Amino acid sequence: MTNNEKKPNKFWFLVGMSLKRKIKTKWFLLANILIFAAIACALNIDHLIEAFGGDFNEKETIYVIDQTDMNTYEIFEQQLQLTNTTLQTEDQSKVLEESRAETEEQVESDYIVEEFTEGLEKAEELAEEDDKVYVIVFEEDEENIIKTTLISKDYLGTTDSQVINQAINSTKMAVAIANSNIPVSELEKIYSEAEVERVILSDDKTPQAEGTSMIMSTVFPVVILPFFMLTLFLVQMIGAEVNDEKTTRGMEIIISNVSPKQHFFSKMIAGNAFILIQGALLIIYAILGVVIRVLLGGGNPLGGMGNSFGGVLDALTVSGILDKLIYIIPLTLILMIVTFVAYSLLAGILASMTTNIEDFQQLQTPIMIISLVGYYLAILANVFGGSIFIKILGFVPLISAILAPSLLVIGQFGIFEVVIAIILVIITNFLLIHYGLRIYKVGILNYSSEGLWKKMLKALRGK
Amino acid sequence: MLKVEGITKYYGDFLAVDHLSFEVKPGEIFGLLGVNGAGKTTTFRMIMGLLEPSDGRITLNGKPIDYSVTDEIGFLTEERSLLTKLTVREQCIYYGTLKGMNKELIETRLKELLERFEIPEYIDKPIKQLSKGNQQKVQFITAIINEPKLLILDEPFSGLDPFNVELFKQEIKRMSEAGSMIIFSSHRMEHVELFCKKLVIMLHGKPVIEGYLQDIKEQFRKKNIFLKADIDIDLLKKIDGVVSIEERADEYEIKIRDNEVVDQVFSVVAKKGKHVTKFVVEEPSLNEIFVAKVGEEYDK
Repeated sequence: MTNNEKKPNKFWFLVGMSLKRKIKTKWFLLANILIFAAIACALNIDHLIEAFGGDFNEKETIYVIDQTDMNTYEIFEQQLQLTNTTLQTEDQSKVLEESRAETEEQVESDYIVEEFTEGLEKAEELAEEDDKVYVIVFEEDEENIIKTTLISKDYLGTTDSQVINQAINSTKMAVAIANSNIPVSELEKIYSEAEVERVILSDDKTPQAEGTSMIMSTVFPVVILPFFMLTLFLVQMIGAEVNDEKTTRGMEIIISNVSPKQHFFSKMIAGNAFILIQGALLIIYAILGVVIRVLLGGGNPLGGMGNSFGGVLDALTVSGILDKLIYIIPLTLILMIVTFVAYSLLAGILASMTTNIEDFQQLQTPIMIISLVGYYLAILANVFGGSIFIKILGFVPLISAILAPSLLVIGQFGIFEVVIAIILVIITNFLLIHYGLRIYKVGILNYSSEGLWKKMLKALRGK
Repeated sequence: MLKVEGITKYYGDFLAVDHLSFEVKPGEIFGLLGVNGAGKTTTFRMIMGLLEPSDGRITLNGKPIDYSVTDEIGFLTEERSLLTKLTVREQCIYYGTLKGMNKELIETRLKELLERFEIPEYIDKPIKQLSKGNQQKVQFITAIINEPKLLILDEPFSGLDPFNVELFKQEIKRMSEAGSMIIFSSHRMEHVELFCKKLVIMLHGKPVIEGYLQDIKEQFRKKNIFLKADIDIDLLKKIDGVVSIEERADEYEIKIRDNEVVDQVFSVVAKKGKHVTKFVVEEPSLNEIFVAKVGEEYDK
């Protein structure tokens, strides 16, 4: 070999090789095709359900035989419409009023209500022919004001039963109030919603943000769900590679040419680069899923789910939380990246100690459980608002990547606390590098599990 | 020159290598022999810089072995050290680059070596699809792709058929003639005998025999006489100094205590033997020396 040739950079070669070994495989391609298919299906689930068909979209017809002299049919029709609308917009009950009002206007009733005058026998015949036809008979009753008979061919679904029964009860109440000769102006007051003026004494908090934080506490854990998936990819990738090199004894050749330190960092950088690529691909898949939705939904990206998503987006805009994303997103990203580094360092250290992939898989389980704990705590954070225990865990490295941003979103953490969480992860990374590298140096050339902990403790002490 | 000076290695309280010293000059093939667990692999790892000796030092051309000189070393491990999911080309580029070679040079060398080892058609095949013998060839190619100044071969003929052993032998000789220092380890003594002028035999981490092969054989007093003749074997057995007589297909192998016994045996054969067609005195084989010496020490 001649010496005057330009020598390659071994470290970056190792990084590239490691990345190539993961990405340039048919399994990576297959896994990504499946992930894309899953994301696209999830984002278009309503179109998918509709494509397969079924009678879920057909409207129910309710024939009302009103045998009272109290305009019960008209009252029932109004109450049914009101109840149906309320249930459909239930998810947005905490959304601002103006947004809710707009939403209610857009809601189309699931029922066709008609007054039936051709007699009970004919109505029953119609109900028997079609299980989407119900018959309601209103009669006057001295004790209970009105007596109602509900006729259907089959059992009623849960929602139908809830809507119809609630509408009948409201009708009965309305008829009773009407019969009590209360003036119209008083009736309007009775029916109008109670006004609640919300006062929050903290200067930096607004009533609008209160409702939004409740929504975000549910939405945010879903948004950070991919973090889990990527953590899992990261830990497994590093573990599998280190074990592959160890079990084939290729490690001896590699370590005789590059230092364990270089090898360790190359795995860490390649692992993190891989999950950043995978993360970017997930975002692209989500965008493509939305594009498919636009194409299927005739230009509306929200399609059939528009009411729910639209309401949430409106609420976020009005409350001003979108402005806060300017610091929430960068802080979350920084915390996640430094935590990915921590996971990769830990995975590398643990993988160096094991002698085969089965041992590593057992050893990685506690890491994944720690991550899962963080996720559940992020969901529970709003339920146990102000919990000191959850706040303390929000600073704990590995868990903090999910928990701290969730606490930030619901207002239990400020920027300062998240910065502290980031600093703590960085300190952990430094310690993992400093002490973990000692274990790694010994571990990667150790092929026996005999006296393993003794060897590792000795390595940790730097002996 | 590779200089190993009094290296000792402890694993905890266990003494793996005990004051081992030897030198390998350019063009020399040095044999490092021993039974399993004798300390060979530990010695190789110390030479490769993978392990720090507890005591003593190792230098290559006067420099301690560290990452500044490992580009000039080739290492063939006893176990397969190939990443079997990679193709032959990828594997060679991987290890070649780690030896500081650029891709073009690796490709050129790889094609040349694949031709020489008669497997050019496997260049883009995944290693896991190759036979054990061909995997060994690829492993050997990765060890010599950088034309190392120091080549360490731990059981290089493992898994090879006689035809491929010949290919390997030719390549090892070629490298030796080109000036490479080669350290060779094998359980097959006939291979070691064929290549190595100098050797050390280790047992329990200690050298039990060391030096030039010729000197070792000369120092080993026992000789063998190969005899083809019609003779009463009992007459030979009575000679003081005859250790054993083994009857082969058409000849006798007479093991004698030392050179002085040769004259007595010859005298009896000359007087009593008929149709004498062969009387050859030979040095003992390395295998005999190994078994005798290691056996002696093993029993201690």
